[in-house]
Amino acid sequence: MSETMMIFGGWVAAGLTIFLFSFLYKDNPFFKIAEHLYLGAGMGWVFQTMLFQTWIPKVWEPLRAGDYYVLIPSLLGLTLVTQFFPKISWVSRYGFTFIMGYGSGLVIPLTISTDLMKQIGGTISPFMVSEITRGNATSLLNAAIVAIGFICVLFYFFFSVEHKGVIKKASNVGIYFLMLYFGAAFGNTVMGRFSLLYGRFDDLYKYSGERFHYATFVILGAMVLYFIVDHFRTRKPAVEEEAA
Amino acid sequence: MKNFIEKLLKIDRRVIFLALTLLLVFPIVRPLGLPNKNIGNEVKALYEKIEGLPPGSFIMMSLDYDPATRPELHPQAVAVIRHAMRKNLRVMILTLNAGATGLIDEIGERMPKDIAPGKVYGTDYVILPYQPNPVAVMTQIGMDMYKIYDKDRDGALLKDMPVMKGIRNVKDMQLGMCITGTAMLDYWVAYTADKFKFPFAGGTTAVSQMGYAPYLQTGQLKGLMGGMKGAADYETLIGVKEKGTSGIDALSLAHMMVLILIVAANIMMLWLKYL
Repeated sequence: MSETMMIFGGWVAAGLTIFLFSFLYKDNPFFKIAEHLYLGAGMGWVFQTMLFQTWIPKVWEPLRAGDYYVLIPSLLGLTLVTQFFPKISWVSRYGFTFIMGYGSGLVIPLTISTDLMKQIGGTISPFMVSEITRGNATSLLNAAIVAIGFICVLFYFFFSVEHKGVIKKASNVGIYFLMLYFGAAFGNTVMGRFSLLYGRFDDLYKYSGERFHYATFVILGAMVLYFIVDHFRTRKPAVEEEAA
Repeated sequence: MKNFIEKLLKIDRRVIFLALTLLLVFPIVRPLGLPNKNIGNEVKALYEKIEGLPPGSFIMMSLDYDPATRPELHPQAVAVIRHAMRKNLRVMILTLNAGATGLIDEIGERMPKDIAPGKVYGTDYVILPYQPNPVAVMTQIGMDMYKIYDKDRDGALLKDMPVMKGIRNVKDMQLGMCITGTAMLDYWVAYTADKFKFPFAGGTTAVSQMGYAPYLQTGQLKGLMGGMKGAADYETLIGVKEKGTSGIDALSLAHMMVLILIVAANIMMLWLKYL
């Protein structure tokens, strides 16, 4: 990438970031421009990636080499586009049928195995005699906490029996486990959002340097100027305010 | 006092935004070098897994993140690739997320400069093109990967490359890894790791880190990095300070501010209620 393009890219990146952050002060046309550009640029990027890294090597080049079998999946894929034309939209069922059949056959058994059977196994296995005899007390305690939490949370989500007596106590314990999970998940979410914000600030700092001709400062200054001008431009006259 | 507290509780939220901005920007301009002393066990497990692999072992890395999650996930990818290269392992980078291709290009450009100087493309590492339909790729890679990846991202024949010597499917690879902010890691675990008994590890955003704890407990994941903290942990383990480590300063200050605000707001509410 040439130096000019690099600098231009820096200005665009810094500008779009500041335009989007400007919404924190108040809604403005620059935010709207950045918002729409984000969607457009994202779709454009995906389109060119699909075109050059998938469609050309996987469809166009095999066709030119005489491999006409690729027409079968290509036509099945194209049937999905008929959804946009009501009169022939029924054709899309052929594509969807294939997707549904293939997807269900693949997903159902593997999901049951990975997310159900293995998880139940993982909860039970630490209590097997062979594991207990060689396991240490800490790992056993951890496994016991996981198992108790698992059972109590299941009780909380079991609605076919009235929650009273022992079941109520178990489901109440389940609520505490859920709260612990939500608390930890929320803490991680806060950390994640700060990390993303830090990432943007880190880039803005990079674009504020001499190499990028102080892009961040120039655009930030221009935005502040815009908000000052906008404030005086849209301010109602004092007489009108009093009358109101 | 009561009036003052009431005014504080009604403070314009933009003041808090500004304070947060200053706290996050300050360590970028003037790094504080706060230590990262609590290395996560899951990160340590991943490090030890890679550390224990003999030279020449093959690692498949699926980098399935886009610019939206770059600050958290890109440092993770760079740290693991750097470690693998340092251990003389072979690395195959691929993506099932169209938004990741630009970021992978950036890694490709950095490889000879600072990530792995001296390593040769095609001999030590290779970058594959983006492929749609992740589930089809994951199942095919478990059987015969050349039926779906016959060429690398530049159009060179994959089978002819020295880096792919002896590799046909995941059974010939020693470790797989997916770094993503989406559900792609779940798919890799279900459709490749579990199905083909393929040792697998993950790197995720901090938001989704909690959801993968069950996979760690059952051993379906051999290690896990979560968010920027995970990247910082890994950088600490390999002794390289990069974007993950530098972010720890900012995160620590921001977390401190949140804690102070929560505690202060609660004290003020109690004051107004009982005093």
